[in-house]
Amino acid sequence: MTTTPATLPKRDQSARLENWSRAFYRFRQSWLSVVGLAIVAALVFIALFAPFIVPHPEHVAGGTNTAARFIRPGAEYWFGTNALGQDVFSLVLVGSQVSLFSGLAVVFIAILVGGVIGAIAGYFGGWIDEILMRITDLLLTIPSLILAMAVAAALGTGVTNMIIAIAITWWPAYARLVRGEVIGKKEEQFITAAKALGAGWPRILGRHILPNIMSPIIVKASLDMGFAVLTVASLGFVGIGVKAPTPEWGTLLSVARADMPDYWWTAVFPGCAIFLAVLAFNLLGDGLRDVMDPKARR
Amino acid sequence: MILYTLRRLVLLIPMLIGLTMIVFAIARLLPGDPVALAAGPNATPDVIESVRQEFGLDKSLPLQYWAYVTGLVQGDWGVSIFTRRPVFEDIMTFLPATLELVAAAMLIAIVLGIPLGLAAAVYRNGFVDYLTRTVALGGIAMPRFFLGLLLQLMFVSWLDILPLSGRFPLIEIPPEGPTGFYTIDSILAGDWYSLTIALQHLALPAFAMSLSPLATIMRMMRASTIEVLQQDFVMTERALGISNTKILFKYVLKNAMTSTLTVIGLYVSWLLGGTVLVETVFDWPGLGLYATQAILSQDFMPVIGVTLVIAMIYLVTMLIVDLLYGVFNPRVRYT
Repeated sequence: MTTTPATLPKRDQSARLENWSRAFYRFRQSWLSVVGLAIVAALVFIALFAPFIVPHPEHVAGGTNTAARFIRPGAEYWFGTNALGQDVFSLVLVGSQVSLFSGLAVVFIAILVGGVIGAIAGYFGGWIDEILMRITDLLLTIPSLILAMAVAAALGTGVTNMIIAIAITWWPAYARLVRGEVIGKKEEQFITAAKALGAGWPRILGRHILPNIMSPIIVKASLDMGFAVLTVASLGFVGIGVKAPTPEWGTLLSVARADMPDYWWTAVFPGCAIFLAVLAFNLLGDGLRDVMDPKARR
Repeated sequence: MILYTLRRLVLLIPMLIGLTMIVFAIARLLPGDPVALAAGPNATPDVIESVRQEFGLDKSLPLQYWAYVTGLVQGDWGVSIFTRRPVFEDIMTFLPATLELVAAAMLIAIVLGIPLGLAAAVYRNGFVDYLTRTVALGGIAMPRFFLGLLLQLMFVSWLDILPLSGRFPLIEIPPEGPTGFYTIDSILAGDWYSLTIALQHLALPAFAMSLSPLATIMRMMRASTIEVLQQDFVMTERALGISNTKILFKYVLKNAMTSTLTVIGLYVSWLLGGTVLVETVFDWPGLGLYATQAILSQDFMPVIGVTLVIAMIYLVTMLIVDLLYGVFNPRVRYT
């Protein structure tokens, strides 16, 4: 009895590629997710190349043109000019840099810190778990915006300090998430097998558990990106965060408040930029959740 | 039920002690010297040292913490290093304004959100469903402070029908009463003129704050109603000939409320911590503005005080939510 391998059905794609194309198919099912992905891609492109493509790079560096104050949006200045005669279009485009970069950094740090603490608490359990989780719970009751504002104000202005301040208030949520996932996975048989083979806990956590709990973390991170962009803008709006001349959407909006209602365009365009960015990340996150966690689909 | 409530209340005490420790530690370990700021730019080292001694900041951290906690229990929440006013009194002055704003925003969100979410679930893929979905998507992404500015632009500058900012005009005498809520106090006093003014000032900030809880409540209500509608007991009731209206309002609503309730509870605290933004836009004299002022001058005591008050309200709200579960779902019994 011999079976020839040729009788097996032939694949024209590798299994891995098939998984990806299936995932992308599921993602495409909702056109809103595709819109979200497109806007996010556009935002990333703008953030990377804004300094080279904006019409008035000199305004971004802090240059002013008092002869051209408060010009209405038109052919020359698409979004009009502000109180200092700066081109609002250039400022809004370059403003995407701070928002996207800080949002990404906040989420990354939160995952790193929260992930390590949550993984240790979940894996070891007992009193380590008890202490770490009580601290986490307490931090979750503190109003995060006020805490972030206080930390940012104490550390001083600047992008780095702002990122640290927001990340301090964000990691507890990831610690809770990762802890729950690790507890769910650590009793599974492949972990017992790894232990039997003599693997130490760092190896088990890093090589065996971590790859299996990535999906919920990625989904939460992509949904959180929008919220991180919003928090960065909020800090800028209350006057704690990035200081001029670095353009940042929230700061632009807060400065423009003084020129409302007559010069509405100075406020409306930065505001719309925040709205669009947050919306795009939320849509993308919803789409990713449909792909990675089909059970949670509404 | 009473025993359960008592036990939960007792459990709040260690939580609060831990909370004071963490908040105190964060406030004191941060860099920055409030004493030098408070004493002014021209203060000599001697003056700075005397201010430091006056506020007990020359002592060691554990001693400072002990002095703070013992004061806290006696109603002495410390003194602002800047205004030299007692923090507890200040908080009690500003708290009603913030609570009134949050209560009004939550009222709008609940009164609109629950029926709309219910309607969206019943008429799936109908007009209401698309409407709520659009509002939900936009409402979550819309920054509250930007929405506030847009509302000001529309209702104040263009339509000119509502006041720009503030809680009550300076030239008028605000209503006085037991609650500190201008709306309720003026109703209690039968003062309809004040009520109109209070409502006019409250309308825009409350609406600006209500959009994101409204969006979440609608989505939550829709999702849980759909889930409940698919359960077996609904089919049994239909088979028994009970009218659809009665099934929906008497049986489904109650079951769908539980998860929505959690969201409502979470949002109360989230709004309390986030009033800063709306209060800045509308110059609403509440805790948020007070906290911002204190944060900018690195004035610890007010910041710690505000944080503690909000955290306490959060813990109590979650307790109330847990107790309300039992009302909506008798299977949840507390012993």
